[in-house]
Amino acid sequence: MKHVTVRNLLISLLVLTLLSLTGCWSSKEIEDLGLVVGTSLDLDTQEESREESAGQAGGPPRRDRITITNQFVTAETTGKGTKNASSQPKAYNNVSETGDAILPTLRNMILRIEKRAFDEHSKVIIIGGDLARTLDLQKILDFFIREQEMRPSCLLLIAQNRASQTLDSKKPMEVPAFKLVEMTHGHGRTTKILPPATLTKIEGKLHSGTSFLLQNVVSSANGDIKFEGAAVIEGKTRKLRGFLNEKELEGLTWITGEGKGGLVKSVDKKTGEPIIYEVLSMKSKIKPRVDGNNISFKIEIESEGRIAEHWVVSEKTIETDFLKRAEKAAEEEVERLVEHVLDKIQHEYKTDVAGFGNRLRIAYPHVWKAVKKDWDQTFSEVPIRYEVNLTIKDYGTADE
Amino acid sequence: MKQHENKENNTWNAAQASLEPFTGNFALDLERVRKEIGHNSDVHFREFQIGGTGICAAIIFVDGLSDKELIDKHIMKSLMMSFSENHHQEPSIVQGAVSKEYIKNQVLTIGEVTEARHAKELASKILTGSTALLMDGVQNALILGRTKGKSRNMEEPSSEPLVRGPRLGFTESLRDNTALLRQQGGNSNLSILKFQVGERSKKELVIAYMKDLADPALVEEVRERIKKINIDDVPESGYVEQLIEDNYLSPFPQVQNTERPDRVYSALMEGRVAILLDGTPFALIVPVSLSMMLHSPEDYYDRWIPSFLIRLLRYFAAIISLFGPSLYISFVSFHQGLIPTKLALSIMGTREGVPFPAIIEALIMEVSIEILREGGLRLPRPIGPAMGIVGGLVIGEAAVQAGIISPIMVIVVALTAISSFAVPQYSAGISFRMLRFVAMFFAAVYGLYGVVLFFLFLCSHLVRLKSFGVPFITPVVPYRVSDWKDLMIRMPLVKMRRFRKAIQKKDSMRKG
Repeated sequence: MKHVTVRNLLISLLVLTLLSLTGCWSSKEIEDLGLVVGTSLDLDTQEESREESAGQAGGPPRRDRITITNQFVTAETTGKGTKNASSQPKAYNNVSETGDAILPTLRNMILRIEKRAFDEHSKVIIIGGDLARTLDLQKILDFFIREQEMRPSCLLLIAQNRASQTLDSKKPMEVPAFKLVEMTHGHGRTTKILPPATLTKIEGKLHSGTSFLLQNVVSSANGDIKFEGAAVIEGKTRKLRGFLNEKELEGLTWITGEGKGGLVKSVDKKTGEPIIYEVLSMKSKIKPRVDGNNISFKIEIESEGRIAEHWVVSEKTIETDFLKRAEKAAEEEVERLVEHVLDKIQHEYKTDVAGFGNRLRIAYPHVWKAVKKDWDQTFSEVPIRYEVNLTIKDYGTADE
Repeated sequence: MKQHENKENNTWNAAQASLEPFTGNFALDLERVRKEIGHNSDVHFREFQIGGTGICAAIIFVDGLSDKELIDKHIMKSLMMSFSENHHQEPSIVQGAVSKEYIKNQVLTIGEVTEARHAKELASKILTGSTALLMDGVQNALILGRTKGKSRNMEEPSSEPLVRGPRLGFTESLRDNTALLRQQGGNSNLSILKFQVGERSKKELVIAYMKDLADPALVEEVRERIKKINIDDVPESGYVEQLIEDNYLSPFPQVQNTERPDRVYSALMEGRVAILLDGTPFALIVPVSLSMMLHSPEDYYDRWIPSFLIRLLRYFAAIISLFGPSLYISFVSFHQGLIPTKLALSIMGTREGVPFPAIIEALIMEVSIEILREGGLRLPRPIGPAMGIVGGLVIGEAAVQAGIISPIMVIVVALTAISSFAVPQYSAGISFRMLRFVAMFFAAVYGLYGVVLFFLFLCSHLVRLKSFGVPFITPVVPYRVSDWKDLMIRMPLVKMRRFRKAIQKKDSMRKG
């Protein structure tokens, strides 16, 4: 009995010592990592052919070259390091590399940085407008979707000009990638920002071939970045088709009903003074109708909100007449926005970015089967009616 | 060879002589007793004559151990002074002889009187503190009174302080302790059985249980195990614990020890068995489960809502004390993606310049905390706080300032150290502390996967472990939903009418 226990003990000891043979398997200390917090992808502007591509005379045909910029937040810039540095360093470190495929280019960065690039904290990918116009997004994003280190919650943005500029900031202690991510939280308070588009969401849309919108970010010469409208990605080609400006994006948000808050600035007909309607809730229903071969849609937009500000001093918000007038004015303003954007996406871009096709697929699967192949074209010709119904249920604390 | 045999013979003869019955010849008997224990300087022989009769007598006692008051007031006085006044007219005494019965029944004003038939028996009684009376013409020696051993006052148990609850703790005297148990409630079912343990020095040990609640098989099992104890001496109940536990290789204690009579009593009321040893304030309770180690009597004294929350907190603390550093190591060295980004950045910042990998850092800190704890325990009381401050400062502040240790590590280690003391059972806290180091090694080798692996090993051990036939992690395994009301949570008392099924087999409902 006793011998058995001792033998068992010895055996388990031996097995346990085997454990230590593995060493610290695949462990990497946190301070040795270079956290990548943002990545930007641009079309290479310098058309000079470097030696490697020049040497490929007989090789595969020349391809578009991509400039990748990784934004690193390193330990030096996060804490102690800043204390004893003489000049104020930046909170981030951008490293760029150019190549014709993503991963080889990223690996080439190893030649420039001492830390191990670590993507699990990557927050945002920004694709330059030029690149999105010339290359299929599916191809560009393939690596990022495939890679295990990339988080599916990573956000995707389009930069109207150079994407690498959006990762630059004049303020030394600001990390632009974090700033961009935090700016998308504004979605809850304005209709001018799209709901955040993560890699997973985009992946589905790319596969299904539907058109969609991506938040557009513009960087100005003085280093400021700003969200400005949205980029239209065409489902068929998966390339950038064009941009919607802020007003158009507002109209589109009303169509989809995905907004959580925002303002409608309307003008009082009598006095010409502005009345501001603040959205508290927003709902929209897209109802498809099929009549023989004719497809049509009806959008029903409903919203509740309050008067947040009005300059019509002569009127009191407590009076029903005025409320009715204010509601009417706001409804007209929304209708105007919707009409404007519908015209743009139906007739100029000819892409269904508002999800009309999806509604049709759910309500009339058979019809959808017939039209889905050339949906964007069909969409550009269908009649769309809309009906806006706003209710003011609160007018703040101002009136007696 | 021959000489050797001779010597053996001699000792055999001496042993034989001490076992021979007393003769009634005063001088001869006294000589025998002297031979047995006379060489001890603390054994006093006081010879005298019984009042007014001229009959020789002697009392023998150990100085300091026996009851001086008893000797002076009840033995000497009644045999010398009162005897001459009241009894010298007695016919038998006039004849110059005295009978044992007469002395016992009419002279001595003492409650406890027994007899010893030979010197060996007498010697052992004297040495444990009784007083012996030898008289000429009386064959057997009388043993008067019992030991009045040195004991201290009852104090609040220092190892298990409570905010609310009885302040009385066990002491070193077994009689006091059993009295404390009886005092808990007039319960006629409380049975206290006496045993003797130790081969060379005998110690008294009792087991206590409720006749109507305890499983007879369990009582029998405890009895068997105690009978099997075969050791020279049992200085403390820890010896008993180690000799009766189920698995001596397990890191977990399978017997609960406590200084609190109320805790023992409530365990008895659940059908458990308590073991009390003379000479130690620590009583043992069997069988135990892991959950008992994490429960405090206060859980039941306070209202159920605070108790509920505090108990949850305690389980949480136990998990921290077991897995705190290992989780930190696996996050920092393996799974940096699981840390929220901002936290990851601040950890990176603080670890910058630290020369060791996380495991070495953690080991340095954990070992120094353990040294500090052990050292603090041994420090003479007056310099304790001073050294504590020095140790704390050196380890906390200076190590960080010197850049050897990152501040976050200090937080993790401090939190873990405090958490391990949130476990009410000190011995269980030690188990958690030991296992913490194992978990750290697993974490250093495999990261979170290793921690999970370690947890699985731990679980498979716990599932096998039993304490006196009751599974150690009951009622988790075997699964008994009704017992879960008093596991990690604590339901209102009115909702806990049922006894624990695992322990209690006789009676399913609490009366009342």
